[in-house]
Amino acid sequence: MILIGESIHIISKQVSESTANRNPVVIQDLARRQAQSGADYVDVNLGPARKNPEEVAGWLVKTIQEVVDLPLSIDTMNPIAMEAGLKGCKKRPLLNSSSGRTDSKQNMLPLAKKYNTDVVISVLTDRGCPPDLDSRTESIMETVAHANELGIPNEDIWVDPIILPISADQKQVRESLEFIKILPDLLPGVKSTIGLSNVSNGTPEELRPILNRTLMVMLGRYGLYSAIVDVLDPELVRLNRGEMPNIVDLIYRQMDGGAIDMASLTQEERNYVKTVKVMMGDILYSHAWLES
Amino acid sequence: MEYKTPLETYTGRVSGVVISKGEKAAKVGGESVLPFHFFEGKIENRPLLALEVYDIEPQGWSESVLQPYKDVVADPIAWANKCLSYGADLICLRLMSTDPAGANAPADKAAATVKRVVSAIKAPVIVYGSGDETKDIEVLVKVAEVCDGEQLLLGPLVKENYEPISKAASAHGHSVIAQTPIDINLEKELNVKLLKSFPPDKIVIDPLSSALGYGMEYSFTIMERTKHIGVMFGDSTMQMPIIADLAAESWKTKQARENKKQGILWESVAALSLLLAGANILVLRHPESCKLMKEVIEGKI
Repeated sequence: MILIGESIHIISKQVSESTANRNPVVIQDLARRQAQSGADYVDVNLGPARKNPEEVAGWLVKTIQEVVDLPLSIDTMNPIAMEAGLKGCKKRPLLNSSSGRTDSKQNMLPLAKKYNTDVVISVLTDRGCPPDLDSRTESIMETVAHANELGIPNEDIWVDPIILPISADQKQVRESLEFIKILPDLLPGVKSTIGLSNVSNGTPEELRPILNRTLMVMLGRYGLYSAIVDVLDPELVRLNRGEMPNIVDLIYRQMDGGAIDMASLTQEERNYVKTVKVMMGDILYSHAWLES
Repeated sequence: MEYKTPLETYTGRVSGVVISKGEKAAKVGGESVLPFHFFEGKIENRPLLALEVYDIEPQGWSESVLQPYKDVVADPIAWANKCLSYGADLICLRLMSTDPAGANAPADKAAATVKRVVSAIKAPVIVYGSGDETKDIEVLVKVAEVCDGEQLLLGPLVKENYEPISKAASAHGHSVIAQTPIDINLEKELNVKLLKSFPPDKIVIDPLSSALGYGMEYSFTIMERTKHIGVMFGDSTMQMPIIADLAAESWKTKQARENKKQGILWESVAALSLLLAGANILVLRHPESCKLMKEVIEGKI
């Protein structure tokens, strides 16, 4: 799976201060560390970029490319910042993201065509995040058709089904699995991605990694092409590289509902099995899901 | 073709919790079906009806709900007996005197009141602290000690204070009420943590009960889901009886305060709804609501 490193995010205080002061140290350090940790792309999340969007985006892209050789994923809802960011990219970037929202169709998708980029298209619409699998597929079919009309081929499109925090909506986790499973039949040739860490938003910090890792493996089983992740989590990267086959096997077996003898497992293995159970909705989520 | 009634089969059972001891003892919970599904299985105990008693004269009660208690509000024992004469199965004694934002009475004084009431009346007692999570530690720990062995139902325990209070409850043989803010995930989390050192048959869940028109449907959903998860899906961390502590919220509403009939109906409709959602104990305020709910439960209306 292609890993897009999420650490350069304007929501981080360090990143936002460094950006405001045009201080490259923190940004370049994060870029380097993510590259060394195994990122395939570096995400540059500018947020709404209300102040000096062109200058900020240009500076960030330039600053990051001074130290890493990876392609960038430009992440902002501001089309002016987006265009400035894409313009500065040395390698073919990823436009992250567009959606079924009217403003996005009008302002973002044409940029993907103009700069010949790969483009993330999420299932969001003017009415927000579609509530179930059917409405998500309906939304994505429509937006991808629109993108095709603009001349963007399926091969350049990375579909994002949007994952919500498991602590807020447990049942959509299973639906996201289903979505990724049926995607090749719905839209042959498209790729896929997901903002993985959002699944653990709202969960206590120290418990987030195992949720992120487990879901990555589960989605990967159904062919998820890429994910925006915390690439600084070494275990997540090792799992993705196939260096922990026992855990992957265990996750698959629990997904299939296999009767697993918990007593024979290590604590770590038990934690993965329990995490699959909450992901699948077999047991009710609580922040104490590993404790019972 | 012969008609066959479609019936659910259930995998879980709500634990039975005993409140008080000896002749006074009452049992709640114990059902292995959804609420009122008599046709599918056994409902061991009918829901219990509690009326509120304050340990200090209540402030701001509307005239229509104060009137039935007018001559007893200064005396918790007389008030408790009045409630029993109105048909309550048990008493919910609320230690409002201890509220740091109010009279801020010391814990031992409140605990002495509980002891007096418990000794004087012939019915089980639920004891709620003021809801101040810090002060409630002192107050409920003291009540647990002073009323050693009385098997009271003590609450609310919240995530910030469940450890010291449950420890005292355990040492002195009481049951506890685990309270979370209308959230099924937090409810389960508190139960999981509590269950590490506390037996499941001494816990009652308080998911918070909002008033009709003020979010009651959220409380309804949480109670309904709690029963689904506990009884249908057999999640042992969710198999405790539920208390619907709805009186205060109901009587706070503009609608309930407008006139007596509307007030009683406002409280009763919330009570009936939460009963259908799965409440095992109702905490009510007006004697007429209590009477109405008793008739509903006994199948008279």
